[in-house]
Amino acid sequence: MIFNQKYKILFLDPNTDEHYGDEKVGIILSPSLYWVKKLKLPVKSVREVKKLLPSIFEDTLTNGNYSYSAYKTSKENEYIVFAYEDKTILDLLAKQNIQMHNIVSIHFAQTELSLIHGAMKINDMQSVYIKDDILVLVPCCWIEEKGTLVLDDVKLSNHKIHLQQFGHIVNIKSLYSIGAILVLFIVLTMSELFVTNSKINHIQDLQSELFSKYNLKSTMFQNKSMLKKYTSIHSKQTKLRETFSALLGLRLNANEKINFITYKNKKLSVDFSGVGEANTSQIISALKAKHLNLSSSYDKNILHLEIKL
Amino acid sequence: MNRINPLYIAALLVGVLAFSMFKLSSAKEELGEAKRAYSKTEVIATKLSSLKEVYSNKAKIKKSLKFILNQKGVNHKFKSSSLSLSSDSLDVNALNKLMGKLLNGSYNIQGLKIKKLDNENVSFKMEIKW
Repeated sequence: MIFNQKYKILFLDPNTDEHYGDEKVGIILSPSLYWVKKLKLPVKSVREVKKLLPSIFEDTLTNGNYSYSAYKTSKENEYIVFAYEDKTILDLLAKQNIQMHNIVSIHFAQTELSLIHGAMKINDMQSVYIKDDILVLVPCCWIEEKGTLVLDDVKLSNHKIHLQQFGHIVNIKSLYSIGAILVLFIVLTMSELFVTNSKINHIQDLQSELFSKYNLKSTMFQNKSMLKKYTSIHSKQTKLRETFSALLGLRLNANEKINFITYKNKKLSVDFSGVGEANTSQIISALKAKHLNLSSSYDKNILHLEIKL
Repeated sequence: MNRINPLYIAALLVGVLAFSMFKLSSAKEELGEAKRAYSKTEVIATKLSSLKEVYSNKAKIKKSLKFILNQKGVNHKFKSSSLSLSSDSLDVNALNKLMGKLLNGSYNIQGLKIKKLDNENVSFKMEIKW
């Protein structure tokens, strides 16, 4: 552990059992926490390389959820590629009491310790050294001349990784797909909501236009009340005309005449003169056939009818 | 390095989707309501407008009544919202003609009184409102 400007740099190794406090740290991963390969690929970008990494490491890795990383070396078409298991690293960080919010960045020892000279001891049993540009991990007993790893001069590079904290719980790609579908549905729903609201506004505008076009009262209650009043007038007047039509359509005998007609307060009164008693029922039934609500009285050849409209 | 659990994001998206679907459902209900209200208003407006035109258009009613009443023997008196017609003795043919015109027109007849005086004449009273 050394002090490096704003935060400490830690060498994270499963064979060291250290516990750290609550402070900001940069992490360098021990080679025992990742797999590394140097290879030449006829592709132009790191992005294309990353697509190939699962198949490149297919034979090397055991079953598990792995993440991959790659960077290009200074040589043409040469890449250093990595595979690592997020959960293993996360478990080790938790074991060494390193909180995720305290981690500034995580790097591979390959990228950060590529300039070491000779072998460097990283724990009681293991050392690291560079062989063919690859930082390899070897048992201590293999190499007699070894130094101690000092992180004082290490300046962390831009080759860092982000751990998928929940990659072991859910498949990130599936989650992205589900997320994309959800976002798509949200967009569609929101669009439809926007269109629906526009339609509502349009209909409300049309309704306002109706009010001004037909010179309606401000509330529907007033308008309904007015309509009720006029409908009542209309139905009464229609009924009055139908009743007149029924009266004037009666087939009266030669001596039968209508003497008197009066209409007031929805009531039409009619007096027929010269009507024989036997004929009253004929007149009444003829009018009742027209569905008129009437009452009658007969006195001295005069038939008096009262029709309610 | 501390990252949000993607399941939380998924849950948030599901929540947002549920909320937006709820809002959409409410909006559609509101749209249906607005359409029904519009149709109802349109029906009321057209009916009311036509009925008002028939029974409450003062100038039009007065004009047509003046045309009908341009005949002798019938007294008429225009008031602010009504017309009174009367005749102490009106020829039966004139009555038929007048009643034919009045009953065929859309007038709000409020009162009527026809009394036979003899075989040729009647007394006549009528009140029309608008």
